[in-house]
Amino acid sequence: MEPVDCERCGNRVLVEKNSWEHTTVQWSTDHPEVICEEYQQDPSLTQRGARIGRCSALRESIRKAVLDGRIPVPE
Amino acid sequence: MDIEESDEVRIIDEGTPPARFARGWHCLGLAEEFRDGKPHSIEAFGTKLVVFSDSNGEIKILDAFCRHMGGDLSQGTVKGDSIACPFHDWRWGGNGKCTGIPYARRVPPLARTRAWEIMEQDELLFVWNDPEGNPPPPEVAIPAMRADDAEWTDWQWKSIVIDTNCREIIDNVVDMAHFFYVHYSFPTYFKNIFEGHVAIQEYEGVGREDITEWDDPDVPQLVSTTSTAAYHGPSFMIDDLTYHYEHFKAESILINCHYPVGPDQFVLMYGIKVKKTPEVPAEIADQMVQAMIGYIGIGFEQDIEIWKNKTRIDNPLLTNEDGPVYQLRRWYEQFYVDVADVKPEMVDRFEFELDTTRPVEAWKQEVADNIARKADAEASA
Repeated sequence: MEPVDCERCGNRVLVEKNSWEHTTVQWSTDHPEVICEEYQQDPSLTQRGARIGRCSALRESIRKAVLDGRIPVPE
Repeated sequence: MDIEESDEVRIIDEGTPPARFARGWHCLGLAEEFRDGKPHSIEAFGTKLVVFSDSNGEIKILDAFCRHMGGDLSQGTVKGDSIACPFHDWRWGGNGKCTGIPYARRVPPLARTRAWEIMEQDELLFVWNDPEGNPPPPEVAIPAMRADDAEWTDWQWKSIVIDTNCREIIDNVVDMAHFFYVHYSFPTYFKNIFEGHVAIQEYEGVGREDITEWDDPDVPQLVSTTSTAAYHGPSFMIDDLTYHYEHFKAESILINCHYPVGPDQFVLMYGIKVKKTPEVPAEIADQMVQAMIGYIGIGFEQDIEIWKNKTRIDNPLLTNEDGPVYQLRRWYEQFYVDVADVKPEMVDRFEFELDTTRPVEAWKQEVADNIARKADAEASA
């Protein structure tokens, strides 16, 4: 898994792709102070306390890392 | 398809079901059913419980076995605010304290049995299990389901005993492919998220034309299904399930929950409510919820047929188009260890979005083949 830093909050996650459409994201709570603030601010990202939402900033950061070739994608 | 050549045979590691029972809130069913003035016997967590309601209608749960000579309180009688043992009439209050022994001059010191913490919410009764004996922390509370902004039907609620370890039903959270092969549905989108004590499955699917035929124009045609299902703790899943028809949608809440009886048995319960809307008025919603509880029951029967015949497997052999079984079990492990031993990797957020390209391709073909085969069979008949 390859590290990706969120361009907005700096939260570092580990990302793996088995294909273009598949994505695994492993978060780490080593630095809880930088865990994505989008979840705290946008109630539509949660459903009864379950954080289902996609953080748009992190999603974009991962997309860029994939396009830059920082995350290998098997053909 | 790539096939790696190897002479080595994969050996199944069956493992053994854990000896302890998960820490967490467990639903015991509709609360009202326990308020009939009688004691109710519940076999759970490797023991027997007695559930009864006191004179104020407050539900209490104690260990069923009387601390005097081991009599079964669930066969006894509710007397005032206490449950009386059928063996020698020892009385036990809802807080676990012995409240009286009619034939004795005094109650012995330390006459206290285990009282279980309960919660009532959305007409359901929950019991807290913790092998360490700690009270439930507020952050693992089951979220309330009923919102005041809409009317819902009453619960349709069912319960069934299943003779296997309850991890089998947890595994379904990540099992996309079984929806096609076991439940005859057709997943098109599938994602899992685990975080803290919550495990989520996001699902989108379409109908199976080879299974269901719409030839009655008066029956609305189901176009697709969307579902966001979340386990809040080890045993209680709330599924926001929406059926999309051609001109309207039907929103429902499906509960899939269980409590363990022993290491090799659990009680599965499921319930459903349908939202009343202008498109789904009360009488339609009531009909719908009746029909849906039937379909859902069939779905669980399909699972049970698999569980009854399969082996436990600790080392499943997976492909990229399977969901994250190992990470799900890593999440589930947090409920089976002491709080002090919960590791960050059990609770750190983990997301897995499955690539459904290949499964959708294969299943479209299979559906088309099934339809063609049916047509051939009808033509030659």
